[in-house]
This record gives sequence, C-alpha cells and structure tokens, in this order.
Amino acid sequence: FYWIFCCTSAIHKPALWGVPYTLWTGIAVSILLVLITYIGTK
Amino acid sequence: MIKTLLIIAIIYIGILATLSLASRQRQKSTASYLLAGSKLGPVLGLFTFAATLFSTFTLIGMPDFFRTHGVGSWIFLAVSDAAMVFGIIWLGAYVRKKARNKDFKGLSGLIGDCYQNRFAGFVIFLGAFIFLIPYVSIQIRGIAIFLNATFPEALPTWGWALSMVVVMLIYSETGGLKAIIYSDVLQGILLLVVIWIASFVCIAYFGDIQSMFKKVEQTNQALLSVPGPKNLFTTQFLIASMLAIVMIPFTQPQVVTRIIIMKSQRSLFRMAIGVGCFAIIIILPTLFLGMYGAVKYPGESTAVFINKVLIRDQSDSVAAFIIIGLIAAAISTADSQIFALGAELRSLLKGDDKKVMPVTRVAIGFFAVVSLVFSLFSSDQLVLLARTSFAGTALMGPMIFTGIFSQNKAGMLIPIATLLAMALFVGSLLDVIPGSFWGIRLDICLFTVLAIIALLSQYAGNKSVPAGDLKKVTDT
Repeated sequence: FYWIFCCTSAIHKPALWGVPYTLWTGIAVSILLVLITYIGTK
Repeated sequence: MIKTLLIIAIIYIGILATLSLASRQRQKSTASYLLAGSKLGPVLGLFTFAATLFSTFTLIGMPDFFRTHGVGSWIFLAVSDAAMVFGIIWLGAYVRKKARNKDFKGLSGLIGDCYQNRFAGFVIFLGAFIFLIPYVSIQIRGIAIFLNATFPEALPTWGWALSMVVVMLIYSETGGLKAIIYSDVLQGILLLVVIWIASFVCIAYFGDIQSMFKKVEQTNQALLSVPGPKNLFTTQFLIASMLAIVMIPFTQPQVVTRIIIMKSQRSLFRMAIGVGCFAIIIILPTLFLGMYGAVKYPGESTAVFINKVLIRDQSDSVAAFIIIGLIAAAISTADSQIFALGAELRSLLKGDDKKVMPVTRVAIGFFAVVSLVFSLFSSDQLVLLARTSFAGTALMGPMIFTGIFSQNKAGMLIPIATLLAMALFVGSLLDVIPGSFWGIRLDICLFTVLAIIALLSQYAGNKSVPAGDLKKVTDT
C-alpha cells in the first residue's frame, strides 16, 4: 500500500530572496521527487 | 596559467595512466573487460553513473542554455533528472532481474534474447549507433571549440578533437570498463569542485543572489520564467524532454550497463538516491554561470561566452583546473559511450571471448573514428543535440520494456514499428518530414504510438499463453 501510494505521488517577478517563482518551484519539485524516491527505498 | 596548467595536466595524465595500468588484465574476457566484474558498490556506482550523465553537456551546454533560455532550463533538466531517478528504483530491479537471467553482455544481445530473434537486437544496436554517435561527437566538439578559443595559436579545432580521441582510445583500450569507472570518480569530483568555484566567482561579481536576479530582470525579464525569451519551454517540449530523459537508464547502453553491473539491488537504490542529489548540486552552479553570462555576455557566441566565464574571468589556477576538469568530463563520457557501443556489438556476436574480443576492440576504434569525423561537422548547440540523442534512444523504450516484461516470446511487430519510428524521427531531423502533426511534436506522437503497440502486443501475447503455462513461466 505504501509503495503504491509512493509511486502514485511521484511570472517574472522575483519571489522569496529575489529568486524567481519558476526556479523556486523547480527546485522544490526536484527535492520532493528525490525525497519520495528515498522514501520508496525505505 | 600555462605553467599551472602543465603541472595539473601531467598529474592528471599520470593518475589516468596509473589507473589504466592497474586495471589492465592479460586475459580480456567479456565479464572483466566490458562489464568490470559486475560488482559495483553504491559510491563507485554513483560517480560512474553521474560522470556518464553529466559531462560537457552540463559544464559547457547548461550555462549557455540558462543564458539563452532562462530559469526554465532547471525544469527541463533537473526536474527531469529527479523523475529519472524515481524511474530507476521503480523499474531498475526488473531490468536487472531479466539481465541476470539472460547472461547479460549488452542491451542489444539482451533484447535479442528476449524476443528470441536477432533482428530485435540489431534494431537496438542500430538505434544506439545512430543516436549515440552524435552525442559522443558533441562531447568532443564542445571541448575542441573551447580549447581552440582558449589557445587559438596552439592547435586547430580538429587537432584538439584528434588528441582527445587518441588519449581516450589508448586509455580505455588498455584498462577496459574498470579503468573508465575509476576515471569517472576522478572526473566527478573534479567537475563538482571546479564548477562550484567558478560559480562563486560569478555570484561574487553581483554581491549576492538577490542582486544577480535583479540584474537579470533588468537585462531580460523573460529569462526569469517559462517559456523563456525564445519560447522554447512549452509544456509539450518539457514533457517530451522529460520522457526522453526518464528513458535514459533503460535505452542508452552505457547507462543500462551501469545499472546491471551494480553489486545488488540495494546498491542500485542507494546509487539512484545519490544521483538525484548529485544532479541538483551539479546543475545549480550552471544556473549561476548562465545568469552571469546573461548579464555580462548576452550577445556572445557559445565558444566566446564559455571562454570568458570559465577562463578569462577566473584566476589563473582556477582556470587551469577548469580546463583539465572539462577535458576529463568530455573524455570520461565519450569513452563510456564508445565503449558501450563496442559492448553492444559484442553482445550480438556469437563465439568465445578469444575470437570475439579482438573484433570488439577494433570496433571500439572504428566508433571513435566515426565520432571524431562527425564532431568536425556538428553544430555548437550542445544541449539541443544531446536532447535529440535522448529523444532518439527513448523511442526504443516501449520495445525494450516489452522485451523485459514479456513472460513469453514477444512478437516482432514492435521491433519493426520501432525501426520505422526511428527512421521517421531521423527524417524529421533532416527536414524530410514535418517535426509535428496536428500541433503535437513528432517525438511525442511516435512514442505514444509505440507505447500503444507495446501494450497491445503485451496484452495479446499474454492472452495467447494458456493460463497454466503462464503461471509456470511466472514462477520460474
């Protein structure tokens, strides 16, 4: 069940600290995907 | 700088020669020479996987890509790489299981065995050859134009390209895959260190990251979001690129080999997590280099921009390290790919190692010469050329997965359809046929059609086996 859940889960203005929104989103998604993969290996 | 460069170059070549001679074996069997003994731990696995993936394409191509197309490049590569890492733990175990059952020598041989037909193996070999040769060529060309711009008096572009191919051939022919893996560790560490040092220099120019993005906004606001100044990052382009990148570990022979030769499933999973983290920390500094270039050198050519950002604007000792790091990156990726093409040919040849290995080694030399010739005529658009290579080999994905997941002999419809799809894709690259149909990119169309054919043939194949036989096959 956890494994299936894990598998299923897997604008120019600057946002926080001057970093553009698109980049923040991209970095967040990358980290989240690696984190889900890590949970998958657990 | 020349003195520092010579000292670092001598040390680097000395380490390469030592590793190559230490890995040398008198009896060159397929298992030791082409598959490095198949007992790779997670740390060695991480560096060899990362060094094969992140190369000239990353160090030269990505800063230029960020400079030209903006922060959407992160979505294009880093998010796709994270998706690829998930793909490795999701599907990698199945590929390993099948490969271990079939006495893996190369992807072409494995797929030929799965389909019980050599034609299927030849389709994979042909696809790998057609789409890997341009990829090897851009590694060689990327460094050759960079060195030519840095030392215009020393050698012409073809001279640098030839020198690299000679070093690469001597090194990999002597030490085999084991030597390549050790050099990958050296290259991975070197690449990571030099790219971060160079990026700190670029951030220091602005003062901090906030000021950097403020300057970029003043220079060209479109760089700070998708689709970018040239409207490249459309949803379709990003999805097509993601599909192509996610397929790399299963369709590019040099990467498939690294999945198979991991010591165990657990080592593979740990390596995959490591690659995900490595991707983030290696792509981030290329963003800083690109943003710096967008402000300081918006109109320069790729070669001039890279020369200025990595050499002229750095201190002498850092510049010397960067030059060696770049050469190491190009050599380690290109030799992995050429070596993989040799292994692919070996997997299709019947006969014992004594007869077949000399042919394989001559073939590796032939592939290197073809790559060298191609590098002299290819364009400077490194990232887009690499993406084309990924998209081309990704078309083999449905066929490979059909072979891997089929519980009985897979039909020949999908290999024939794959061959036709690759021909159409090459036709679109040569502008013989349109690159999109009804507003949908051709690579997405072809991949979707192949996936549907694969699913239908899998369904029909499983249905044609009596239930009792199917259970027997599954149990074994």
